[in-house]
Amino acid sequence: MLARLAENLFWAGRYVERAEDATRMVDVTYHTLLESTSGEIEASWTQLLEVLHLRAAYGERPIEPVPVIEFLVLDRDNPNSIVTSILRARENARSVRELISSELWASINDLHLGLGARDLRQELAEQPYELFGMIRRACMGIYGVASETMPRDDAWRFMALGRVLERAEMTCRLIDVRHQQLEKLAGPTGRLPSGGERARGTDRADFHDWVAVLKSASAFEAYRRRYRASMDPADVVEFLLLEPDLPRSVVFCLSSAMHQLGVLSHGAPSRAARTLGRVTASLQYRDVGELFELGLHDFLEQVQHRVGEVAEAVADEFFRHHPGGSMQAVATT
Amino acid sequence: MTALFDDYDPGGPRFFDEVFGPTGEVRPHYRELVARLRSFTPQDLDRREVIRDRIFRSQGITFTVYGDASGPDSADEGVERTFPMDLLPRIIPVDEWATVEQGVAQRVTALNRFLDDLYVGEQAAVNDGVVPRWLLHTADGFRREAFGIPVPHAARCLVSGVDLVRDVDGTYRVLEDNLRNPSGISYVLENRAAMTRVLPVAFAQQRVRPVDHYGPSLLRALREVAPPAAGEHPTAVVLTPGQFNSAYFEHAFLARQMGIELVEGRDLVVDEHVVYMRTTRGLQRVDVIYRRIDDDFLDPVVFRPDSALGVPGLLSAARVGNVTIANAVGNGVADDKAVYAFVPDLIRYYLGEDPVLPNVDTYLLWEREQREAVLARLHELVVKPVAASGGYGMLIGPHASDQEIAIFRDRIEADPRGYIAQEVVSLSRHPTLVGEGFEGRHVDLRPFAIAGETVEVIPGGLTRVALRKGSLVVNSSQGGGSKDTWVLDGQPTGA
Repeated sequence: MLARLAENLFWAGRYVERAEDATRMVDVTYHTLLESTSGEIEASWTQLLEVLHLRAAYGERPIEPVPVIEFLVLDRDNPNSIVTSILRARENARSVRELISSELWASINDLHLGLGARDLRQELAEQPYELFGMIRRACMGIYGVASETMPRDDAWRFMALGRVLERAEMTCRLIDVRHQQLEKLAGPTGRLPSGGERARGTDRADFHDWVAVLKSASAFEAYRRRYRASMDPADVVEFLLLEPDLPRSVVFCLSSAMHQLGVLSHGAPSRAARTLGRVTASLQYRDVGELFELGLHDFLEQVQHRVGEVAEAVADEFFRHHPGGSMQAVATT
Repeated sequence: MTALFDDYDPGGPRFFDEVFGPTGEVRPHYRELVARLRSFTPQDLDRREVIRDRIFRSQGITFTVYGDASGPDSADEGVERTFPMDLLPRIIPVDEWATVEQGVAQRVTALNRFLDDLYVGEQAAVNDGVVPRWLLHTADGFRREAFGIPVPHAARCLVSGVDLVRDVDGTYRVLEDNLRNPSGISYVLENRAAMTRVLPVAFAQQRVRPVDHYGPSLLRALREVAPPAAGEHPTAVVLTPGQFNSAYFEHAFLARQMGIELVEGRDLVVDEHVVYMRTTRGLQRVDVIYRRIDDDFLDPVVFRPDSALGVPGLLSAARVGNVTIANAVGNGVADDKAVYAFVPDLIRYYLGEDPVLPNVDTYLLWEREQREAVLARLHELVVKPVAASGGYGMLIGPHASDQEIAIFRDRIEADPRGYIAQEVVSLSRHPTLVGEGFEGRHVDLRPFAIAGETVEVIPGGLTRVALRKGSLVVNSSQGGGSKDTWVLDGQPTGA
């Protein structure tokens, strides 16, 4: 396959996921802040901008719900706004129309056109719930359509690889949105108190916050079935980060990326596979308490950084071939 | 039941009507079709138009029209339009087609000989005074960078579209040659595919020669012109400027028809005079490039240095014979509208044959006597810039205002090499569905020829129809439509 098209597929997958996950994070922040004080509101939006690595891009504008939400959702000058991500997803998909199913193209195009037809500013000001729900459902619909209409060829795998790498990063950020509360929980020693103490220490407001985090990862019901009624923040972190069977957990995404990458490179050793293997191993079989002792925020940052390195290595291995480069020229067929 | 043709005005003797003869009788090769259509009601036609529109929309058969481009992002804002296909096909009987086919093949063969001789041969036609050297060197499409670039079998015009019109007595004449990047073949194939679904009954009683072998024929020709060193399985690609080009649909369509990669300039890289494409598994050698990028954008080392569409070093790779570029660089010299006037002489010179298809009578304006005769009767003639295409920048004397005529007079006097004048051809007309009935509209015909080891002309071609009443301009960019074009195999049953 042409390298450029593979890269477009990879980024189409990433951008749809980025739009979906950003929507989840804005949604959860917005709805948990409805009954908060203005100081909490400012702190929370600042934190969200920081974990999305957009604090500098936001600049000197006031940290208030309306301008921040507009910046994150519909600002075309923000390269990571939801509207921009969907536009980029569409551009990438458009250039690979020959390689994807027409249903998949239509579902991405419909989302783009659908957003263009709405008065986003007014919806955000009045009642964003409906809009956030629509974007989330549309993004999940796109994967559903892709999954049901695409043969499992390289085109599919590059798109799937982009998606799971993006999701791994974004789930890290979703947890990181709450890192201040988590560090408060562990205290200056970094050592977690026992489970019972933690559960008792989680007050009612925190409880709702953690429910919201789980819900934004579509993981609340699964969490309840696993951990019953107890709402322990450390359990939430463990679940979202380390649970091998949860489709949005970081470990799940990285394992899935390892699988796709293995098939794409026919199992040949590569820098991408090594980097990915290392970061996956750093999570597997980990005890959540250890992560708190290491410093959860730093650890999450490090995982994101490593995932970025994987994406770079994937680009080097598959997308950027230069004459005289390390790749062998394949025989003419 | 309404008789759809009852009010039809064939327009004789001012125009040649493709369907009705001078006394109003249906020409033999249309009898079968007209008889079938007579039983149709306007509602039947409406229903078929709906089916047609659905087919074209769902296939995304569009070209992009750029209106008020107003910024760097406006490329995304071009309007995608369909190229409307009229429900009534144009039919060419077998004997007429034999003439067209022979004439087009003859013309393309001679032009290939001429171009090959000009760029890699001895320039015999120039040395023997058949066509003036200065004329070639001042042609917009002349490229001295093409000297020494070989093309196997001299197939420099691998794909050509020769535009034909019929004058008032029905004679086919060549209006212009398109030897660089003729487009439109995708409409030929899509029109046929749509027509078999919209009007299957019309096909039932007659044998229409198929066109869907175009893709395989093109691929075969591309492989035939691969450099000898490429071996038995040369790799061919289609090179497109990208998805914002107005003909992108066709580029993607052709790549799909041939089952080869559709690449952009950035997908290709030249190393040590060898062209490679960047794939996910590394660099893969490319032997033949069917490029749909204009000469000027092909290689920034040689042509426009600001072009990001092309491939640096491509021309040097072609010059040493490591890759074949089709169509060849510099073909534009031969479809310059002033050089066009010399094509009948070139046919006689290179082939020793008389031209099968005549030109339209053309006046060359750098010769004082011709120029003065032309300037005296501009209101009766058509004036065209020699390098333009797409129907832009023309003067149609009989329809022009005094002011427009004065403007062209000044232009011709300032730059006589830059224009030609031609007698007005009253393009033939064909019944075309307008509203609820048929009306005569002007048509032309662009047959497509593929040259590899031999020249093959695809039966029929693109019939373009001027949808605006009285309009003589049939170009897609100027509000034209098209017709499925049938070449009948054998004699019509009704004859």
